[in-house]
Amino acid sequence: MHEMSYAEAILENLLNLAEKNNAREIKKAHLVIGELLLINPEQLEFCFRAISRETIAENCTLEIEFVKPEIRCVKCGKEFDAPAGVCECGGFVSVNGGKEMILKSVIMEVD
Amino acid sequence: MHKIEIDAEIDLLSENRRLAAENRKFLREQGIVAVNIMGAIGSGKTLFIEKTVEALRDIRIGVILGDVICRADYERVAAHDVVAEPVNTGKECHLDAHLIHHRIRKFEDVDLLLIENVGNLICPVDFDLGEDFRVVMVSVTEGDDVVEKHPEIFRLADVIIINKVALAEFVEADVDKMEKDARNLNPEARIIRMDLKKDIGFEEWIEFLRGVLNVSGNSG
Repeated sequence: MHEMSYAEAILENLLNLAEKNNAREIKKAHLVIGELLLINPEQLEFCFRAISRETIAENCTLEIEFVKPEIRCVKCGKEFDAPAGVCECGGFVSVNGGKEMILKSVIMEVD
Repeated sequence: MHKIEIDAEIDLLSENRRLAAENRKFLREQGIVAVNIMGAIGSGKTLFIEKTVEALRDIRIGVILGDVICRADYERVAAHDVVAEPVNTGKECHLDAHLIHHRIRKFEDVDLLLIENVGNLICPVDFDLGEDFRVVMVSVTEGDDVVEKHPEIFRLADVIIINKVALAEFVEADVDKMEKDARNLNPEARIIRMDLKKDIGFEEWIEFLRGVLNVSGNSG
């Protein structure tokens, strides 16, 4: 399970952002996650709940938006759903993206 | 009290990338070749490292051994009289650049740094450690569909080793299929069929590694 590492990165960045903005509470975090990172959202949520307890992010909702990689043959342009290596035309199948982990936006409660 | 929305746009992977880049810079400056060795539990990574260390006695070698809680692999490798360091992740099933960053200065005098990642074919994939190249070790006993089931780790490997080939007939594993799957995912990778207990394919690995060390000017 690699979700704990990512949950820690999310929490650390949220708390830094809250401090910069003098926030009292972090309400919602919008995350953009590439599908190829193979993140299980339930496990990410579970880890985040566990480590955010007794912080100002303990009631923060994680809104996860998954983004697909672009997988296509460099020769014939055929698109694939998963990394495929070599296309039936013999061309190399390139993989772009799908490895993002972006904290897009955050909603916080301030005075 | 009121709510505000902040456009954060923070790349959460940037910290690992930054530390990996620092590791890489240190290794380059010291002229150290670093290898990230990945593979499932029981694929043969530790024996592979032990044999590599013994085959390259003329080269100064350091070994980092990643494990969740255990020191057994470290003790096995340290017995070979090399600079070795155990890294226990405690909870995570992969090493990351930060864990390496803490310990890297211990290895400033070596020519080759072998990093044994935690036994896992999924989690280590997206954590660059600062290595020069990646070795992924897979054994026929894991089933001949193991390559196609874990495309990312094989797609991003530089060297793919199919180990325990002498056992293939006993576990009914099709080694040709495993190699074809690996080749299909990664046309550029060097694929070596190996059996560490039967001395199959190991020389090919050592020749390859000596080639890399010579290019880096680390021929011992």
